[in-house]
Amino acid sequence: MKPLVVGLIAAALPLAAAAQVENYNIDPLHTFPHFELEHLGFAMLRGRFDKTAGKFTIDRAAKTGALEVVVQTTSVTTGDNDRDGRPRTRDEHLRTPDFFNVAEFPTMTYRSTAVNFAGDNPDAIEGNLTLLGVSKPVALKVERWRCGPDMVRTQGKRFMCGGNAVGSFKRTDFGMKFGAPAAIGDEVKLWISFYGFRQ
Amino acid sequence: MLEELLANPVVQAGVAPPFLAALIVAVALSPLRLGGLAVIAAFVVCVHFVTGIEFTPLTATRKILILAIAAAGIGPLLDFALKPTRIGVALIAVGAAGGALWAFWPVILQKPGMQAWLFGGSAVVALAFMVGFAQARLAGDGVRAGAAALALGLGVGIAAIFSASLSYGLYGIALGAGAGGFLLPQMIRGRKAAAGATFTVPAMLIGGLVAVGAMLLAQLPWYCVLILALVPVAVRLPGPEQAPVWLQAVVFSLYGFVIAGVACALAWPSSQT
Repeated sequence: MKPLVVGLIAAALPLAAAAQVENYNIDPLHTFPHFELEHLGFAMLRGRFDKTAGKFTIDRAAKTGALEVVVQTTSVTTGDNDRDGRPRTRDEHLRTPDFFNVAEFPTMTYRSTAVNFAGDNPDAIEGNLTLLGVSKPVALKVERWRCGPDMVRTQGKRFMCGGNAVGSFKRTDFGMKFGAPAAIGDEVKLWISFYGFRQ
Repeated sequence: MLEELLANPVVQAGVAPPFLAALIVAVALSPLRLGGLAVIAAFVVCVHFVTGIEFTPLTATRKILILAIAAAGIGPLLDFALKPTRIGVALIAVGAAGGALWAFWPVILQKPGMQAWLFGGSAVVALAFMVGFAQARLAGDGVRAGAAALALGLGVGIAAIFSASLSYGLYGIALGAGAGGFLLPQMIRGRKAAAGATFTVPAMLIGGLVAVGAMLLAQLPWYCVLILALVPVAVRLPGPEQAPVWLQAVVFSLYGFVIAGVACALAWPSSQT
């Protein structure tokens, strides 16, 4: 009898541990990576990607987690999409090999390697950004983080987490060298505002 | 005004350094009948200034660079060792088409069915025709070959800029600048230089591949690529054979500019839709 009880407990332990890992799917309607970089040395140019997918996990007991974000580079927009007599718009230019080369690299991804907590909330994410086929470490700081039931849309039936993650990188590290740094800045600031629904 | 001109990225990367590099190579290597390498020097210098010379990850643009460098070896080999026959010219044309497929196959595969055939077919036909025709009909005339590359380079460059890619525009303009560096010593000396496969193969290969890249990676219409492929034909039309070399260079270049201009004009309104 005793070995059976021990065996049952041993079998249940991984389930108990697994139960503490929460899986979230990113809501593409409320998740938008934004970017900012210097333009011609005068102003900062901001843009965003309209199509993003991904998932994240949180283990509150172990204070760990993971994040994976897949961004459709063809969805880049900087608000300049009307040719208005010009041969091209800035958004069209951004899709060419000069910048995102969307025909060859339709996605860019961010995959975490470690999630560090401050108290009960994730605070910093270490991971790799893959852009133009090049993967480099990029750290994200979680500036805002909140979890709770979605009272407005589901009367609390759905549990969600949302926040902002902020980081920066040099685009030339990823081979995006056109116009850098004189015409178009090298340093890119990245914000990812996101929602995720618990599965 | 001059400072603004010199500060312009087009001048900095696409014209001045490639032209100077081409001029140096054309003058220094022309006694060895290798002056045609001028266009490769121009293209490589431009790539260096625009994006830097790297080979990983192996993108279509980097494959163009590899093919251009390979052409630097293939051209002289054809001129000095193999002396291409008709079949040889056909093989060179097939090789150029194969090079285009190698460079752009992953991108062509991503296009929807009919578009893949249209873009892939245009790339193959344009490259095979340009390289084959130029080798067969222009290689013996340094002025006509130089004029073809000048018009093709500027045409591809301007059309690529209309199609939303400044870097591909600069690559095309650099080819034109390189052809200018090859033509200028001939115009000054009043004596035609040897073009051979050393010049025609890389010049047409680079021009064709940049045009195809602007089609597949930017927004150059497929028919503009086919029109640009006719530039070498225009340059082969009858002209003032007995006139001074500089005048021949001007006239034959104008022939090419007419065709290149049509392609640019068609690239502009199509980008307005």
